[in-house]
Amino acid sequence: MERENAIDVKDLHISYKCLKSFSIKRSLLQLKKTNTEVFEAVKGVSFSVKKGEILGIVGKNGSGKSTMLKAIAGIFSPDEGSIDLHGNSVSLLSIGVGFQKKLTGRENILLSGLLLGFSEEQVRAKMDEIINFAGLGKFIDMPVKTYSSGMYSKLAFSITAILEADIMLIDEVLSVGDAKFKKKSYNKMKELISNEDRTVVIVSHSSQQLQELCTSILWLHEGELRMQGETKEVLEAYEEFMS
Amino acid sequence: MNRFIKDMKRYFAYAKFAARADLKAEVASSYLNWLWWVLDPLLFMMVYTFIAIVVFRSSVQYFPLFVFVGLTLWNFFNKTVIQSVKLVRNNSSIVSKVYVPKYILILQRMMVNGFKMLVSFGLIAIMLIIYRVPLTWNIIYMIPVMIVLALFTFGLSCIVLHFGVFVDDLYNVMNVVLRLMFYMSGIFYSIGTKLSEPYRSILLKCNPVSMLIESARRCMLYSSLPYRKLIVLWGVVSLLLCWIGVKTIYKYENSYVKVM
Repeated sequence: MERENAIDVKDLHISYKCLKSFSIKRSLLQLKKTNTEVFEAVKGVSFSVKKGEILGIVGKNGSGKSTMLKAIAGIFSPDEGSIDLHGNSVSLLSIGVGFQKKLTGRENILLSGLLLGFSEEQVRAKMDEIINFAGLGKFIDMPVKTYSSGMYSKLAFSITAILEADIMLIDEVLSVGDAKFKKKSYNKMKELISNEDRTVVIVSHSSQQLQELCTSILWLHEGELRMQGETKEVLEAYEEFMS
Repeated sequence: MNRFIKDMKRYFAYAKFAARADLKAEVASSYLNWLWWVLDPLLFMMVYTFIAIVVFRSSVQYFPLFVFVGLTLWNFFNKTVIQSVKLVRNNSSIVSKVYVPKYILILQRMMVNGFKMLVSFGLIAIMLIIYRVPLTWNIIYMIPVMIVLALFTFGLSCIVLHFGVFVDDLYNVMNVVLRLMFYMSGIFYSIGTKLSEPYRSILLKCNPVSMLIESARRCMLYSSLPYRKLIVLWGVVSLLLCWIGVKTIYKYENSYVKVM
């Protein structure tokens, strides 16, 4: 059965250029034009992900992986090319979306949920599940500023993992919290992934995890698409290249 | 335009909740708590009343109220605009992790400052009773006055927010500009009696804040009509400003993250 595409990326270019902020003082003092540096993070990548597929992205540091995820999540706009999500909702799984440090964990769950575009009822319905999953005990009713960094990321992970979106983008957060929570989040990840309708894009440096989770792999090298295909095949080539 | 309405529907609840959260956080961390929302405008009113009555020997009817109305409106405008300059930078933890239309952040600030303004209005109501100010139906004109003030503040803040991202020291510039505007808005003196033509008409017609403050005083304190034509005119200008501001933000907001 042919499944429809969930993500279509065509000829994506993203560059960080002269968008350095300038100050009026500086531009008055240096009348000569400052040289504008253009750094192209992603150079013409195209791929598509089918619905229900789990795509892993590998590549060394600075090869544009995170930039691309941010572009798919709609935080960046592409300089050239297009990203089509076919109307699916998307969430970027990352640490600590806009926590208000003086408020309690419970209130922050609601705040983050609303920020991710869910309605208040939807968040309230899932509230208990999130609290349970985070497993913070009585800390859930304490201000977030009293949390340890592990607790902080546990809460953040629980919010994004349990408020489900059609497309989930995961940026190296599979290693959050203590050993117990790590296992729990890994299992949750697997459960989320096993849902046939959910499309997942994972960025990770752990070949072992990717091997277990992904259906296909994309290898980015210095902003360019180096290889795309079966998990095993690409991972082997990648590992050979890295060693 | 359609996108604006859709986004507003989607994120309005967030703005409301975040504003409430901000207020709560503010209260949680100070000793006198919410009393500051009352004390702050009250104390500033005393400062300006002292300066105006003792130093400048001003003689305006209901002077403390006169100052208070001006300060209330001005504070809302001033705080929202000055906070907009660094809004994206201060919220970088949100902006770099999730997409949110950036003017929603302004809306949130407006709600926070609007709530404080409401507290001030409560105080004004009490003072109106204490001073036995005769009220008339003219007070209904406060509604359009407030709407135009909100629109103008929102429109201007959108534009300030946009440039605030790219220009590092806009904050310093805006501080000076707003201070100048403060003195040109007749908050502790009456533009109508203290100034001579042509400055009087220039300040009243070209500075919407002073026009709105004067209008609010007229219809609340002195039982007279506000500048109706000017209110409509500035209402239209403010709408235009909002439209430009929102359009600019939509066009460039995706590159804000790259600058930071």
